[in-house]
Amino acid sequence: MTGTSERGQLRPGLWQTVNERYPGSMITKDDLVPLAPLSRPLSESRLTFVSTAGVQPKGTLPFDTVHPIGDYTFRRVPSGSRPSDLEIHQLKYPTDGAHRDLNVIFPIERLQELRDEGVVGELAPSFFSFIGYNMDPDLLEHTLAEDLAQAVEDEQAHLALLSPA
Amino acid sequence: MPAYRRGVSLPHLKAALAAGDTATLIRYVRLHVGDGDEDAGRKEIDKAWVQALTVLMEMPAVDREFVHETLQTKDPATLAHLFFSLHFALVRASGEWIHDGDV
Repeated sequence: MTGTSERGQLRPGLWQTVNERYPGSMITKDDLVPLAPLSRPLSESRLTFVSTAGVQPKGTLPFDTVHPIGDYTFRRVPSGSRPSDLEIHQLKYPTDGAHRDLNVIFPIERLQELRDEGVVGELAPSFFSFIGYNMDPDLLEHTLAEDLAQAVEDEQAHLALLSPA
Repeated sequence: MPAYRRGVSLPHLKAALAAGDTATLIRYVRLHVGDGDEDAGRKEIDKAWVQALTVLMEMPAVDREFVHETLQTKDPATLAHLFFSLHFALVRASGEWIHDGDV
């Protein structure tokens, strides 16, 4: 495997191809939902984490990274997991660093530490992950996003930390 | 500029298909398998075919019953997905993996 770190973190011409590869994907929406104000102090809040990193518990069905239109499922990642319990399935971002320390892309231990230090009240039972290579905006918005939002709500998280890969 | 060229990805592809614009479709496939680089994608497709040919060149035993049954019994979507899966599996087997991550 050719490590991306050997070639630099960004492929030459990457940004030039974004609009060709995802034509019109610079989404502009006029119905954006405003961020909700935090209803209680962070130290009393239950936090979850939502990531497009394609991180999943070992032994779960790998994300469908070969499908040309994408994978509109998500995986629950128990918030008490250790990095060694988890693996990454995706094709579209450099994983060399994440394989050395998963926290660079999925900071599960840092969030556990923030919980232990009392900065965050508690962690929701699950964190959530999916892959960002999704070409159907309707499925993305009305299936994946809504399913994920419902799962977050079911766990009664007060706030969600969102992170792209 | 055709309207579909301004659309978001899947609508863009569907409009291209409806317009008979196969050049746009194959270009998309090359971008997908080439991680956003069309030239790389073209080489990746070639690489998969060369790998498939190389494996078969010495006439090893083949489970043709499996292949026949799969082609006869599986639905078109599963077979199409298998086609993409085989592409990546053959590229992986070639020993030259250009992708940043793993399937």
